[in-house]
Amino acid sequence: MAHLTDEIASVLREEISRYQSGIDVREVGRVLEVGDGIARVWGLSGVMAGEMVEFPGGITGLAFNLEENSVGVIILGDYLKVTEGDEVKSTGRLLSVPVGDAVIGRVLDPLGNPLDGKGPVVTELRRPVETLAPGVAERSPVREPMQTGIKAVDAMTPIGRGQRELIIGDRKTGKTAIGIDAIINQKNSGVKCFYVAVGQKDSSVAVAIDTLRKYGAMDYTTVIVSGASTAAPLQYIAPYSGTAMAEHFMYNGQHALIVYDDLSKQATAYRQLSLLMRRPPGREAYPGDVFYAHSRLLERSAKLSKELGGGSLTSLPIIETLEGEVSAYIPTNVISITDGQIYLQPDLFFAGQRPAMNAGISVSRVGGAAQTKSMKKVAGGLRLDLASFRELEAFAQLGTDLDAATQQRLDRGYRMVELLKQGQFAPMDMVDQVLSIYAGTRGHLDEVKRDEVADWEKGFLTFVRDQMPELRKRIDESKELDSESERQLEAAIAEFKRQRAAKAGGSKQLAGAR
Amino acid sequence: MSTATNTETAHVDIAADRVAKIYAQAIVEAADAAGCRRDVLEELGLLAREVLPKVPEAVAVFSSPKISAEEKGRIIDRLAGSRMKPTTVNALHVLARHGRLGMLGVVVDAAERLADERDGKQQATFTTAVPLDAAEQSRIVGETEKALAASLKPRFVVDPTIIGGLVVRVGDTIYDQSVATGLTRISGRLNQRTIHAIQNGEYTWHT
Repeated sequence: MAHLTDEIASVLREEISRYQSGIDVREVGRVLEVGDGIARVWGLSGVMAGEMVEFPGGITGLAFNLEENSVGVIILGDYLKVTEGDEVKSTGRLLSVPVGDAVIGRVLDPLGNPLDGKGPVVTELRRPVETLAPGVAERSPVREPMQTGIKAVDAMTPIGRGQRELIIGDRKTGKTAIGIDAIINQKNSGVKCFYVAVGQKDSSVAVAIDTLRKYGAMDYTTVIVSGASTAAPLQYIAPYSGTAMAEHFMYNGQHALIVYDDLSKQATAYRQLSLLMRRPPGREAYPGDVFYAHSRLLERSAKLSKELGGGSLTSLPIIETLEGEVSAYIPTNVISITDGQIYLQPDLFFAGQRPAMNAGISVSRVGGAAQTKSMKKVAGGLRLDLASFRELEAFAQLGTDLDAATQQRLDRGYRMVELLKQGQFAPMDMVDQVLSIYAGTRGHLDEVKRDEVADWEKGFLTFVRDQMPELRKRIDESKELDSESERQLEAAIAEFKRQRAAKAGGSKQLAGAR
Repeated sequence: MSTATNTETAHVDIAADRVAKIYAQAIVEAADAAGCRRDVLEELGLLAREVLPKVPEAVAVFSSPKISAEEKGRIIDRLAGSRMKPTTVNALHVLARHGRLGMLGVVVDAAERLADERDGKQQATFTTAVPLDAAEQSRIVGETEKALAASLKPRFVVDPTIIGGLVVRVGDTIYDQSVATGLTRISGRLNQRTIHAIQNGEYTWHT
């Protein structure tokens, strides 16, 4: 006990000896009014836009509006603890969040505070939440593929590292599922993942985190949560702080993937703030700079040049539409910012086609360059074929007699739709995708019954894995489908078909013998 | 020594402040043109701070929209007509005509601030835990003026909660060397130190 007293005394003595160090100089203002996550402050005449300010009790805020006589501050934290007359200090710093390996595997709030009860985030590294996006000279074209593990996406709207691909659709059409699947598929690829949940129900976020944990994805993933119950300022900055954390890896020559789930909720939070700050409302009451809010966020996703380490940040923003209305304000904005979109449709979803991707209007503007050669070879034209199949299908429903060629295209289309169905949390690797899509597009499934396609595919992939591992290895290593591999693949399909027919025959005979 | 209730006002009405600034500028410039700024400000200050608080009914009359501007003008004439400078009387008339007589206090504050600003003087508040005598006051002001290279219009406040030391406020900037702030800083540092030690696993739990 005496030892302890001595220790405390020595620490105190040391601190007191340093006590006279300097005067505390600060610029202050006074809270005039506070509410709904914002405060109006009188004074703070030298504060700059976007500067961090401090309220009593360590609550931080951001100078948002600089007016003639007052400063509008958004409060990042519990605004109920801020009262009228409180002293506000300017800090001269920008808002920053902890970054680096320490945040990996954690569940954090938009300020970088832990929410998972696993103790503090121990790191000296911090990065400002708002930074400028890399310029033209600092970028290089998107080349490397960023596999999502979803057949439909990787084949028809391939995503490259550094690309921004929008996932858009009504509620309950599987938007989040695509993002989560993409994260799960990054296992062993070295890509660091960030899932930013904005304005989501906390229960759904808990499910998402649980899923990530179950599939071992939390080892390389950070979840930034700003749920529906958090104040609008935090929802507004959450995507920016998630991006800051992801950027750290990009600027260090690594690869990162970030999913913003979803940006429509962030826009709503921003609208709330802007209206409370009395900024003039524009279309749908969003402020005039809501486009800039999203464009400056998504511009930060990039593929860096070799001189800067060649790192990349891929983003998958999610936008929720109402009744399929893609011409609303926020959807059109984000569509025009991103390099393509994956459009999910409720009717396809309920017809059992999952992922419910509409091949006709889903595009990827830069991903083609990033697709592996083998995939490009087997899936080229697949998107347009499927789109024309959808048209033909609608036409065929009129009940007219069809000629053989049309019927054949219809049959092929039905098989491809079946083949592109894929279960949730079951990402496929590139070779498997190439093998099954090859079988589909080259017509090897035309004879298979529609409800047996999934079974056929499963059997075929197992067959190749078990009996022809050298073919898999060849495609995997060369990333190409040369004539030799193609020959082997044709042979494999023929052999599999023979074995399958024999098995079917065998079981039929068995049934007959009974 | 000024008793202006400028930056310390708990309730600040931004809208009133903005209007007051405009009247203040007009009054200061008119007074400058007539070459009697000091007198005008003194007279207005006297009226706003000494006379009106003693007659609460007058404040009610001045701010009431029920009483016409002419009526208020007559009161002003009888009140100040011959006693005060013509510029002061005119300023009061202008305020009355625009229905702003009720905010005379705010206008006077703004005018004094503006006049100080034009003279290159900054308002400074010195907060101490115990009252200072005149010699100490002038020494502190002198030292501060030298350190900041500015001419100050000082105001002294006694606030025992700062425990000791001195807090100087110039404009929106606070120079704080109070004991209370120092103690807060030490406690913060001690906390940080302990947290750091726990995080690095250096902390040993004594029993």
